[in-house]
Amino acid sequence: MRRYLLAVAAAVLLAVPLSAHHSTAMYRMDHPTTVTGTVKRFEWTNPHAFIYIDVKDDKGNSTEWEIELMSLNHLRSYGWVRTTVKPGDVITCTGGAAKSGAPSMISALLKLPDGRELKS
Amino acid sequence: MTLAFALAIALATAQQAAAPAQPGESPYRIAGRLPVRIMAFDVQPRSIKPGDKVTLTWAAENPQSISIDPIGRVAPRGTLTLTPGATTTYTLSVTGASNSADKRTITVTVQGTTAAAAASAANVPKAVPRTPDGHPDLSGVYGYGQAPGGRGGPPPTPPVLKPGAEKFKVVRPADDTGQYSSCMPPGIPQSFFVPYYTQIIQAPKHVVIAHEYLNLHRIIPTDGRPHPPDPDPSWMGNAVGHWDGDTLVVDSIGYNDKTEINGYRHTESLHIVERFSRPDVNTLSYEATIEDPNVFAQPWVIKRTFPLLPEYDALNEFVCENNRDYKPLFGNK
Repeated sequence: MRRYLLAVAAAVLLAVPLSAHHSTAMYRMDHPTTVTGTVKRFEWTNPHAFIYIDVKDDKGNSTEWEIELMSLNHLRSYGWVRTTVKPGDVITCTGGAAKSGAPSMISALLKLPDGRELKS
Repeated sequence: MTLAFALAIALATAQQAAAPAQPGESPYRIAGRLPVRIMAFDVQPRSIKPGDKVTLTWAAENPQSISIDPIGRVAPRGTLTLTPGATTTYTLSVTGASNSADKRTITVTVQGTTAAAAASAANVPKAVPRTPDGHPDLSGVYGYGQAPGGRGGPPPTPPVLKPGAEKFKVVRPADDTGQYSSCMPPGIPQSFFVPYYTQIIQAPKHVVIAHEYLNLHRIIPTDGRPHPPDPDPSWMGNAVGHWDGDTLVVDSIGYNDKTEINGYRHTESLHIVERFSRPDVNTLSYEATIEDPNVFAQPWVIKRTFPLLPEYDALNEFVCENNRDYKPLFGNK
């Protein structure tokens, strides 16, 4: 019984990151990354929405980051609509970055220009 | 943006407590602490003549539950056109993580009437609806199940394999992100187990089961007809249905061998019997009995329950237009 409960507990703990349509094994979920940048475009589509942002380093060099979000049903359940993020917005994304070092991450929460934090 | 809406955003933002992160904490756990907030709640016009319409508008962010009394559960954002017969007070209630909650009320005055009795729609138990032919009506949008218990229940008991059938167990390398990454059809019963909704539409002689994931669907005849002889192998199989009391029984064959069922492959001899029932208005009970004489030593039963989502009446479009090859993100050589 105890073993069964542990298995259920593990399933519950794993349930959140596994809610994507693919695993998140390619992202470093144990070392959250936060990036801030200016939105270039927002793809409001299934199976996942994506935001592309320009992130500037200390020297002013710009890198395009690919920000993967959850699917539309999840985003709608958090209160999102397709205009929640707009080109030109400065947003901060917190999530897991690609293990390869590529400027790509899956974001779990976003801070919008007015300071509102939203699950993503 | 109206002043009221701008004020609502300012207030909501001021109330929002930042969620401090622990070192090494999953970002989803951090996100799981974000509090709920009401962004908007309005009705226009506020005063009408009997028979006139009003428009109710609302928006909330990070909710775990959201309802409007006397309407019931609603989506986080929405608009409804209503014709209240008497003066009515609407109450928007939201709850969220970290014990956060909020509530707003608004009253529509219907001239020449008194306030409607404060009957709470949420507290009135509803019976399972029935179709004119007497069967339970399974129509509705259903979720895939929520924690605790994951997607509608604990992990299924593994199947009992035939001797020599171990090769049908799926083993994946670490950089394989799973059967769903490729956007190929998952088949039955896996189409119910992805984190997307399912819609059932029940007609007198057919039941349509539509899955948001890949927009896959089955149009299942329930007029007693048998399977066609030797159906072509397909991703979603050939299904026929009948009623066993208040349970819809769907028998399916004619599958190709390209799908997986909870970590196991199968052959074209796959035969599945699914039983759908609605033990209460908010729940779809699902049981799949899986047989394949080439793989399994005995029938393999997988049970799940799926919650009704009364706040939704349609699925989202699903086109895998921006699906990725995720392998490069692992950085393996």
